[in-house]
Amino acid sequence: MISRLKSQFAKVEGNTPVEPGADERRVIVKWLAKTIRNERRALERARRRFVEKPSERRLHDVRTTGRRFRSLLEDVADLIPAPQLLRRVKRAAATTDAARDATVIRQLLERSTDAAEAATARPVLDELRHQEAIATRLARKQLRRTRFLP
Amino acid sequence: MPEVVDRVVRMRVSEVRHLAVGLERRDKQGLHDFRIACKRLRYALERFLPLDSTLQPAAERFAQLQDALGDAHDLDVLLTILPPTMAQTQRRLQDERQRCIDRAAELWTQFAQANDSHHF
Repeated sequence: MISRLKSQFAKVEGNTPVEPGADERRVIVKWLAKTIRNERRALERARRRFVEKPSERRLHDVRTTGRRFRSLLEDVADLIPAPQLLRRVKRAAATTDAARDATVIRQLLERSTDAAEAATARPVLDELRHQEAIATRLARKQLRRTRFLP
Repeated sequence: MPEVVDRVVRMRVSEVRHLAVGLERRDKQGLHDFRIACKRLRYALERFLPLDSTLQPAAERFAQLQDALGDAHDLDVLLTILPPTMAQTQRRLQDERQRCIDRAAELWTQFAQANDSHHF
């Protein structure tokens, strides 16, 4: 297993040779640190893209990269603690919840409303669109102030 | 499996097993908690795939399970805001919700019976 890890780590590090005798834990911690750096950059890229030009797709990207990153930080907190960064990621995720919920629920209602009840659904859909617009603006405002890179 | 990976995966699997009762109860909160635990496990499995490719079948299974639970969750949120006057739509959504949960339960049973669960 350790030889597989070393070879994998060498690939991740761009063929940087792993010193002979490096123990498994050290190799994995280095691999994790590299993974954290990559995921952190990915989240910052997603944030910037959303702030530049908000869209449903870009919001989704911020949320998914953020969730993965948060999960990584929580999983390895004892090896590579980053409590402030973790708090920032959690706060940023929370600011996007309302926009995502309004979008998903609106789309679901649009495609599942019974034809006979379309008129009843219309004001609900209008309200969801309104909430979606407000929540997306708010998420943009919050994310504009947030930075995930030092 | 490297010690660090083993520890994280075991911890996440333990959470999932503990919260699987939500899938049996089929209540909104219980399903939500189980879904979040599955999501965390899925992320851990996918992240550690480069270190241990034997995690692949479980990662795929949990991706499907999470999709089914995610659909059920979205339906739950919609059902809470649906006006009572939309009874036909409500019935249809509730049926769809049941199908999503049935699918999730089937996937969970498959996981529990599959060889890859022995890793954990």
